[in-house]
Amino acid sequence: MKYTKELVSTLIIILITFLLAAVLIIVAKYDPGMALQSFFYGIFGSLHGFAEIMVRATPLILAGLGVSVAFSTGFFNIGAEGQLYMGAIAITFVGVFLPPMPPMLHIAVAILAGFLLGGIWAVIPGFLKAKYGVSEIITTIMFNYIAINIVGVLVRTVLKNTESALPYSPVMPKSLSFPLLLYPTRLHGGLILALACAVLIYIIMKKTTIGYELRVVGFNKRAGTCSGISVYKNIVLASLISGGLAGLAGVSEIAGVHHRLLEGISPGYGYIAIIVALMGRNHPVGVIISAIGLSALQVGANSMQRQAGIPTSITSVLMGVIVLLALGKNIMFSGILKKMRIK
Amino acid sequence: MPNLQLKDIFKEFPGVIANDNVSLTVEKGEIHALLGENGAGKTTLMNILYGIYTKDVGTIIWKDEEVSFKSPRDAIESGIGMVHQHFMLVPTLSVAQNITLGIKDKGYPFNNRKKVVKDITELSKKYGLQVDPTQLISKLSVGARQRVEILKSLYRNAELLILDEPTAVLTPQETDNFFEILKKLKKEGHSVIIITHRIPEVIKITDKVTILKDGKNVATVKTSETNENELSNYMIGRSLKTFSSREEVIESEDNGLVLEHVGLNKKLKTLTDISFQVKKGEIFGIAGVDGNGQKELAEVIAGIRKPDSGTILIAGKNMNRASFKTRKKAGLAYITDDRHHEGLVLDMNVTENMILKDYDQEPFSKKSIINYNVVREKTEQRIKDYDIKTPGVKTPIRLLSGGNQQKVIIARELAVGPSVVLACQPTRGLDIGATEFVRQILINKRNEGLSILLISADLEEIVSICDRIAVIFEGRIVGIVKNGADLDLNKIGLMMAGHIGETVNS
Amino acid sequence: MAEAGTVLYYIVTLFAASIRMAVPLTLAGLGESFSERSGVLNIGLEGIMLSGAFFSFMAAYITQSIIVGVIFGCFGGLLISMIHAYMSFKCYVDQVIVGIALNFFSLGLTSFLFMAYFGRTTTVPQCPVVKPIRIPLLSDIPIVGDVLFNQDIFVYFMIFACFVSYIILYKTVWGTNIDAIGEHPKAADTVGLNVKKTRYITAIINGCLGGLGGAYLTLALLGFFMENITSGKGFIALVVVILGRRHPFGVLFAALLVGAAEALQYRLQTLGSGLPSQVFIMLPYVVTVIVLLFSIGKSSDPAALGISYKRSSR
Repeated sequence: MKYTKELVSTLIIILITFLLAAVLIIVAKYDPGMALQSFFYGIFGSLHGFAEIMVRATPLILAGLGVSVAFSTGFFNIGAEGQLYMGAIAITFVGVFLPPMPPMLHIAVAILAGFLLGGIWAVIPGFLKAKYGVSEIITTIMFNYIAINIVGVLVRTVLKNTESALPYSPVMPKSLSFPLLLYPTRLHGGLILALACAVLIYIIMKKTTIGYELRVVGFNKRAGTCSGISVYKNIVLASLISGGLAGLAGVSEIAGVHHRLLEGISPGYGYIAIIVALMGRNHPVGVIISAIGLSALQVGANSMQRQAGIPTSITSVLMGVIVLLALGKNIMFSGILKKMRIK
Repeated sequence: MPNLQLKDIFKEFPGVIANDNVSLTVEKGEIHALLGENGAGKTTLMNILYGIYTKDVGTIIWKDEEVSFKSPRDAIESGIGMVHQHFMLVPTLSVAQNITLGIKDKGYPFNNRKKVVKDITELSKKYGLQVDPTQLISKLSVGARQRVEILKSLYRNAELLILDEPTAVLTPQETDNFFEILKKLKKEGHSVIIITHRIPEVIKITDKVTILKDGKNVATVKTSETNENELSNYMIGRSLKTFSSREEVIESEDNGLVLEHVGLNKKLKTLTDISFQVKKGEIFGIAGVDGNGQKELAEVIAGIRKPDSGTILIAGKNMNRASFKTRKKAGLAYITDDRHHEGLVLDMNVTENMILKDYDQEPFSKKSIINYNVVREKTEQRIKDYDIKTPGVKTPIRLLSGGNQQKVIIARELAVGPSVVLACQPTRGLDIGATEFVRQILINKRNEGLSILLISADLEEIVSICDRIAVIFEGRIVGIVKNGADLDLNKIGLMMAGHIGETVNS
Repeated sequence: MAEAGTVLYYIVTLFAASIRMAVPLTLAGLGESFSERSGVLNIGLEGIMLSGAFFSFMAAYITQSIIVGVIFGCFGGLLISMIHAYMSFKCYVDQVIVGIALNFFSLGLTSFLFMAYFGRTTTVPQCPVVKPIRIPLLSDIPIVGDVLFNQDIFVYFMIFACFVSYIILYKTVWGTNIDAIGEHPKAADTVGLNVKKTRYITAIINGCLGGLGGAYLTLALLGFFMENITSGKGFIALVVVILGRRHPFGVLFAALLVGAAEALQYRLQTLGSGLPSQVFIMLPYVVTVIVLLFSIGKSSDPAALGISYKRSSR
């Protein structure tokens, strides 16, 4: 019975979301038929569409895992966007300033550097929260804006490609590229990294004492303290893992997609990652599913923009609404469910 | 003609019938006790009367009119006031602001402090309820807060006062003072309903008693025509169990827990110069009114707070700088007073809660990997040993009753073989069956030779199972007495109010 | 002598600019103070301001009337804050998460509607902007008068709103009721105060003032709208609330401090130092973090902040 309720609720959410999208599209005087067609064509129409979904899902899985670890520990990390950029900066530094290395080693160094720099960018707010109770929501948001501007400064100064007038870094060496998985699409090895991280996070959170401590702190800080579990240590650790994973998303975007640092490499992946974690209920498998789902939504929206001229920002509206409906469904739909006699 | 009549009140919460056709009649100028165990449905019944809950079935007649209050505001406006067990006072506001909260007085919406202060002063003189109207609630003692609560109702012209466990937090002397206030209220024509499970008080102060059990009426009797034994039989179906205090204590050099001149926060004097020893095979009780440093004392002993001065020894080892985990390894078990916020993680299941203190120890985990097979086996074993009623090992602990939650904590703390048990209000909020279970376990553990420190605001509990009793007042131990037949309760009461007593060492 | 005069003039104009930069922060901060004092943490303030900015711009652009713009600015803010109120008070969803989701919603909605209405254009659509109002006599004071008492109506409204808020919060029973509800909603409920109604009222205040704060960006500071025009101002306003300890004048002071950083940022950008402009754009965000560090341990939150009240919980 419980599953029927879940299923019906989910169907209602999908229905409302589609209706809302239709209303927005009609009010804005776009062609709804064209929109629908292009939306589904974008997602299911070609191998390219599938690959694009996976390409976009990769950073969402990584950053989403990061956010979910933070949320599980009661650390509201809204700063995945900034941490992602810090990871991107890290790999670019590795590529520009470190001597040439064998590919495997080079990538490993870049991954480590990206994890650390992204981690540090989250550990600062984590430390401030754990030690002084400073609201991490605000610090992580501010750190997003600061990180994005740091990228802006770097690509115009120390990391600038001197041969071009544009604010880009030089192209990364070949040894810092992820292999392509499905030529000729853009699908790259970052996806494997993301899935591996999901497995790792699952094991850490569910099977180890480290994860146990993190979860206890997330549910009840006071009970943690009274059991000798350090709230301070665990919040700092959670922020490190969280920022590190978001940093890996940045590494993956450079090594797999852009191959050099420039402004705007992330169309808000760090923010969407929050929705990914919320929808995935902080569970690694849930994160993967919701990352692919939201990625498909975006790919479909891109297709709608190309073919029907509909602005892609419609996805932000829908994502906001989906989260609200998903969280409030038990009470919002209780009337409807009662009428349908579903308990 | 009765002032208040509740007829056949029925109220069901998901999964539990809280009131099953309960009736109650209160006359004008009567002090009426609503007697029953925790969970008997007393508070629910009164919350229905007061408009906090709505009844499913039944009638309420108040002053010859059928009423059904939709919110406390309706009840207040009809002249009914309620003082909750957990005071409903805003700590950051003043006494006067709390008393007048929600009242549209002259000059509304602007503050009219002068008039309010004058009115309150007059009212407090009339009933002998002394308070300073300009003081912040957060600065007041528990007794004073209770006076504010009563004034709050009187200021709203309450003719009927409902008092939920009013004496639970008072010293014996404060209780006497409180009874005087009740007598004055009665003389002025107010009716009073006291919700309580303390039979001696019922005998002492009330005119009539209605006994509830499992949400049902058991009996209504005139106080003058009953006695303690009869009431106890009504309330729990048998006489109260008496615990025999043990005559002899094993003399031992190796004391389980020793505190020497422990101090915390010199400025606020949270704890000052606390010294005592808990011997092996002894239950050492700390009595005192809530909020006199008991919580801090427990946390200093557990290592959650670090003392500024003094020494703490567990099993002979200096623990001043040691973390909770180190103390635990040295043999300390800690039963906290706040199950929901400190003792358990309500969002986790029974199994996960069972390893809260030992998750990083073998056999539960090796090299950071938790072995859930072992964890489940041990949990099942403990559920059997301690007779914990739960649908399964993976049931969220939130769904267990208070008594079973406490059993999980006790099983967890005592199963690993501690030598010192720090038990902080271990029976608070439990029904009588669970309370007796917990007390019996503490006694058994004492008989096995453990050192047990029992911190409790329930003097009855302290007297019934402790070997020695220390009284704490404003962060100091004001005296230590030996428990026995010749124990002078009056003297303990005085000590709870800050009078210095003597100290005995054995 | 002339040198000193120029420096003085420079400082005074910078101060005047700081005041203007402080307006959106103060207005939004005042609204949020009401909300937080009553126990509701609305992280969706960014979304409220953004929505206010968008709807005020659209209304002013279409009708060419600033007054209509102001009204729709309030409406835009209200839209978001009412959804927040409904989700938190009725559906008991975590207030922070609702706020995060609403920021998404608002960002998407405003940029979608903007793009849908104007399409991809090269020219930036402009709306009318408010004119400064010269206060007689005071504005005649040399140097200082012209910059401080020759400001637009929003600036004067900001001062007015601070005074009114102060009186409501500190001199009336309403203020006491709001504090009681934020500190101990159950106690407030048992004496008959309507917790939900009061919180809805503070949510309305929050929506209107936050919407006005957003409207100030389009109707006074910029005269145009673009995607994510608030760029974090709502979050900065949250910091202003913390630093100002939810006291109207504290909020004003804190907003002036951050406003000064923003005014300075614009000055430094135009100075032509050869540094990338991003160095300066970062400044207000860095200052905000530093400001937040200064308020460590100073503010005590209402005890029930962020927790929605449910009566029959047992």
